[in-house]
Amino acid sequence: MTVTAAMFYLFAVLTVGSAVLVVTTRNVVYAAFSLMLTLCSVACLYVMLHADFLAATQVIIYVGGILVLVLFGVMMTSGKLDMKLRMERGRLIPGSLVGLILLALLIRIIYQSPWQVQDTNMLESTTKSTTQSIGESILGQYLLPFEIVSVILLVALIGAVLISRKEVKEIEES
Amino acid sequence: MDNIGSLRYFLPELILILFAVGAIILDLIWRKSSARRMPWFTLIGLLLAFVAVLSLRPEARLASPSLFEGMIELDSFSLYFKALFLVSAAFIVLFSIRTTEIASVIRGEYHALLLASTVGMCLMASASNLLLAYLSLEMVSISSYILTGFRVRHARSSEAAFKYVFYGAAASGTMLFGFSILFGLTGHTGLREIAASLHQLFQDATPGVSLAAIVATVFVLAGLGYKIASVPFHAWSPDVYEGAPTPITAFLSVASKAAGFGLLIRFFYTGLAEPITATTTWSVIGDLDWQLLLAVIAAFTMTTGNLLAIQQDNLKRLLAYSSIAHGGYMLMAVLLLTQSGMQATLFYLGVYLFMNLGAFLVVILIADRLGSEDIAAYRGLSSRAPFVAFTMTVFLFSLTGLPPFAGFIGKLYLFAAVIESKLYWLAIIGVLNSVISLYYYVRVIKTMYLDEASTETPLQLPALYRVLLFALVIPTILLGVYWNPLYQWAAAALIRS
Repeated sequence: MTVTAAMFYLFAVLTVGSAVLVVTTRNVVYAAFSLMLTLCSVACLYVMLHADFLAATQVIIYVGGILVLVLFGVMMTSGKLDMKLRMERGRLIPGSLVGLILLALLIRIIYQSPWQVQDTNMLESTTKSTTQSIGESILGQYLLPFEIVSVILLVALIGAVLISRKEVKEIEES
Repeated sequence: MDNIGSLRYFLPELILILFAVGAIILDLIWRKSSARRMPWFTLIGLLLAFVAVLSLRPEARLASPSLFEGMIELDSFSLYFKALFLVSAAFIVLFSIRTTEIASVIRGEYHALLLASTVGMCLMASASNLLLAYLSLEMVSISSYILTGFRVRHARSSEAAFKYVFYGAAASGTMLFGFSILFGLTGHTGLREIAASLHQLFQDATPGVSLAAIVATVFVLAGLGYKIASVPFHAWSPDVYEGAPTPITAFLSVASKAAGFGLLIRFFYTGLAEPITATTTWSVIGDLDWQLLLAVIAAFTMTTGNLLAIQQDNLKRLLAYSSIAHGGYMLMAVLLLTQSGMQATLFYLGVYLFMNLGAFLVVILIADRLGSEDIAAYRGLSSRAPFVAFTMTVFLFSLTGLPPFAGFIGKLYLFAAVIESKLYWLAIIGVLNSVISLYYYVRVIKTMYLDEASTETPLQLPALYRVLLFALVIPTILLGVYWNPLYQWAAAALIRS
């Protein structure tokens, strides 16, 4: 086993293991911290795929931004949200049965399908930064999706303001 | 075509985005008078965009350019859909002016979101790239979530928005997974390139392609099926339709559904099918038999929608289930891959717009006056508001598919297309479903005409509602006797793959 493969399996186990912990733990803070581990390991996987820009973005946005927000949210609502998360176990068996069948199907697809793979050796390929080509694509071929994303974000922003403002109003009046 | 050159053909969407941003800014400037002025401002935007759409028609037919480096298509097909979206958005703006349900909370944001949603729909109908298809779907979804939960301190409205978000997230996640399989197989995100690449893969009989392609199709169908509310992805729609403000319900059931069909047709006809002769008929690529899959879904969608509609006592909920059933009727013609099937679907979408918006307008009106959406509230409506009762009868008969109304012609074309493709079992299920639907539509009509009203006081109709009812009932009747113009437009709008 090469070093690359060993590292890949390390990060893969970390990703999946901590993701399982996120959904199984009953403590919100633990869940948030395991989520951080998941997101960081995914960033490491990106690095191994030579997607350096993506990895940096993942760390800055998900780990640095969203996760800190989640933790803040937990902190601010502590006491209110200190409830035990109840998990419904009634549908555990049919749910996992469907999940397992789907997993088997997907594994079969992953191994059987003729994927379009670029045949480059990871270690030998030139370690060129992807930032430049991403920048060029965003202002070239992918300009329209890029601009549309900005409109979507605007819509989401307005929505968030609208919904939170309602709650403020309620508190003032009550 | 390159980005700068494409801008000229992107005018309708640009106008809509401009007015959406304008609505937010002007809301701050106008303040108190905003509620009065904003609907008309929005209508001007929609009208300008409509003019822009019409002005692009000749160019779309001659050149049919692919815009923004192959991200969207400008063809008659997308323009037909854009016209549908703009017309229904304009009706929704007019519906929202007087309704007590949301009039008190309406601000510039409501109109901005409505316009943004319309932009998303326009993009859905013209997207020819998986990336843009996903983004446009999200744009429509996100603005719909917010519009659904727009009512302040309204438990049902919030619950509806909540359910909608969760279903939507799961559905679009599944769809993205399907996209990723397709991308992995073909190495492209453009629908045409995907079709060419799949064609090659099937021709070389590469092992493992069929299974992966079928799973990808089913996954993508989760996202598209959720937008058109087809079984088994329909469970959100009754609750969302009931909880959302009624004008928004009408918008979701007409425009959002049409957008779903636009993207579905584009995805299946361009990405997973290839033309046999020039522009008339298509065939599926390889042995990817998605036609049977869609046929089964269509049959289940119609039947489930109709059987559940029978049990409803809330008219808004009843219309939600009937809207699921209508999705099934249209899906039946979409999967045929023939020219007549496509034409019938497009025509039916146009007809459905008027009759369904009409039915919802009556619901808004009665809920406004009587404060109830239950069928019981419609008792003796014929003596209290004869005009409303008459128009509702027209809309419901048209939805059933009875002559001489537009719905009859629409259904006639749908069934004729199905029979032409020799899918007799599907046509029989469709006809049986229409008979079932007659029962619950006529039950409403019976309540309005034969049951005694508790009071005889006539209902006052605001002039605006009277005008709107006229504007919707006239096309519903007229298209039943003189449908050629719309049918010809639908014929001209056939997709080119």
